[in-house]
Amino acid sequence: MSRTHAAPSRKPGSVSRELARDRLGVPAVLFFVLAGVAPLTVTAGVIPTAYATTGLTGIPAAFVAIALILALFAVGDVAMTCHILNSGAFYAFVSQGLGRAAGVAAALVALLAYSCLQVGLYGAFGPTAAAEATAHIGVHAPWWAWALGAWAVITVLGLLRVDITGRVLGVLLTAEVTVIVAETIIGLVQPAGGQLSQATLSPSDLTSAGFGTFGVLAVIAVLGFVGLEQTPVLAEEARHRRRTIPVATYLALGVIAIVYAAAAWAMSAHSGDAHVVAAAAQQGPGLLFGLGGATWLAQTAQVLFMTSLFAAALAFHNCVWRYMFALGRENVLPPALGRTGGNNIPKAASLTQSATGLVVIVAFAASGQDPMARLFFWLGTTGGFGIMVLLAVTAVAVVAFSVATRAGRTPGAA
Amino acid sequence: MTGLGGTGRLADDLYLMAHDDRTGRPLLAPRAIGLGLAGALLAELVLAGHIEAEVGDIAIADRSAPQDALAGVVLGLLVSEPVQHTAREWLAFLARTATGDLASRLEQAGYLTRAPGRPWRAARWVPADPDCAFAPLARAQAALRPARPPAAQGVALGGLAVACGLGPRLLSCGPPQARGRLDELTRLLDPSLRELIAQTQAAVDSAVLAHRV
Repeated sequence: MSRTHAAPSRKPGSVSRELARDRLGVPAVLFFVLAGVAPLTVTAGVIPTAYATTGLTGIPAAFVAIALILALFAVGDVAMTCHILNSGAFYAFVSQGLGRAAGVAAALVALLAYSCLQVGLYGAFGPTAAAEATAHIGVHAPWWAWALGAWAVITVLGLLRVDITGRVLGVLLTAEVTVIVAETIIGLVQPAGGQLSQATLSPSDLTSAGFGTFGVLAVIAVLGFVGLEQTPVLAEEARHRRRTIPVATYLALGVIAIVYAAAAWAMSAHSGDAHVVAAAAQQGPGLLFGLGGATWLAQTAQVLFMTSLFAAALAFHNCVWRYMFALGRENVLPPALGRTGGNNIPKAASLTQSATGLVVIVAFAASGQDPMARLFFWLGTTGGFGIMVLLAVTAVAVVAFSVATRAGRTPGAA
Repeated sequence: MTGLGGTGRLADDLYLMAHDDRTGRPLLAPRAIGLGLAGALLAELVLAGHIEAEVGDIAIADRSAPQDALAGVVLGLLVSEPVQHTAREWLAFLARTATGDLASRLEQAGYLTRAPGRPWRAARWVPADPDCAFAPLARAQAALRPARPPAAQGVALGGLAVACGLGPRLLSCGPPQARGRLDELTRLLDPSLRELIAQTQAAVDSAVLAHRV
């Protein structure tokens, strides 16, 4: 009973080294964030639908403008992670800066926003899968059948606490970005009328239909960047807190901004500025896929589009139940949501989000409205708007926190 | 050698509670079990008076070698580490190897036997006697009965079990109002033990939130 136990890595001073080995580096954080951002979902799903639904052409300019604003915001956001290590991200920052009541309100808004985003994705997956199935395997089923199929799979995966992570995620994301870049380059090289117009990139397009134009464009652009605000969630698990999170955040912001702006620009340049709205209304996601012509590239892009939608829906599902879990723990939401069942899975939280999704899909199916323009775009932009409000509130909270800390007061005393 | 009374050590009891009493299969996510067992190892040192936990830090109170070899190794690490680490960091560090270390300790005590690996499955530890493997859970549930006088080790075991996710297993099949009783008894515990339970809970919750569980 007192035999010495063999312990290979037990040298003193090695604790920090061993802990660091377990932790996440920049690539892991980057891929985690990009999964939520879902590049192909935005470029093939949001951008064409935005062109068609809003009739505005300033979308490329909007991405650039919002990226600059977010870069400013990220400075404070990332600085907060150095002060506050908390996986609750928004909730933690807003609580610390503006008090617990504001923090709770922020968390509830976040919950609602992510929930809208998650359910909206079914509205894009359904019709895309239905079209692919009809075209390639001759199966004719309505969009909601495919949406419910995806819902069922995500419900099960959510109960098993399966995350698409690691290598699978890395491969998918790299493929997505590569496809987008390829389509963009081909599109830019073949502009309508032979002349590459930069009109949609110019700031004047941001207010083309009055000042309210910028508001509409801003929401769409923010929707594209949703997922970026999740970097602080991994702060505790990051290898070098002060370096990993900022580097990953700015890298993600830069990559996403360039990819989105270029893709949106390519779409408008390829169709011609005057025709892009009509072309988007007609082709939908095909507006991106068709940039390179009807080739294997377009085909690959369509398959990756479906996987991107599915991966994003799963990522947001997991994000929502984690928020519910955190809020249940704080007794803001019913404590049952904050309990884990066997295998540390918060089943109640996961099932609640699944139930919400089911109700919404069924409601939209019954109402007969277009899933892409309504379920996907409406819920998506609502969620995007919610996140934009949160980003604004968090920015205020960060400033309040800094002011209070500097003045020597306890931050968060509301 | 083995008996329904167990080894008398907190971490051993928690290990047996966190694994199926027949197949030895873990009942929780590996990281959660690791964190719970790490908390239990530190709690053993607190109960023996070797360390204290306060406001997120671990302080050494008594450097003499503990009776148990594994506890001695853990204390040795705490003492010899040149840099001051927080309780959370110690939990994360010990969690990496706690499960394997405690399985070895229980094997030496005769409570577990090693089942050889198959091509499709790694080698794992199986309880030598299912009744002895179930006993810690039964004892922990019994300790929460209203009329029973509280014992620090039993309450700490209950608290750590709930902290790492064994709440449903411990409380739903136990006596009624067990959760309230456990909360009440935890409040009466030594502050160091309360701190360890809270830190373990926070570590497991954070792991869930950060997608690492």
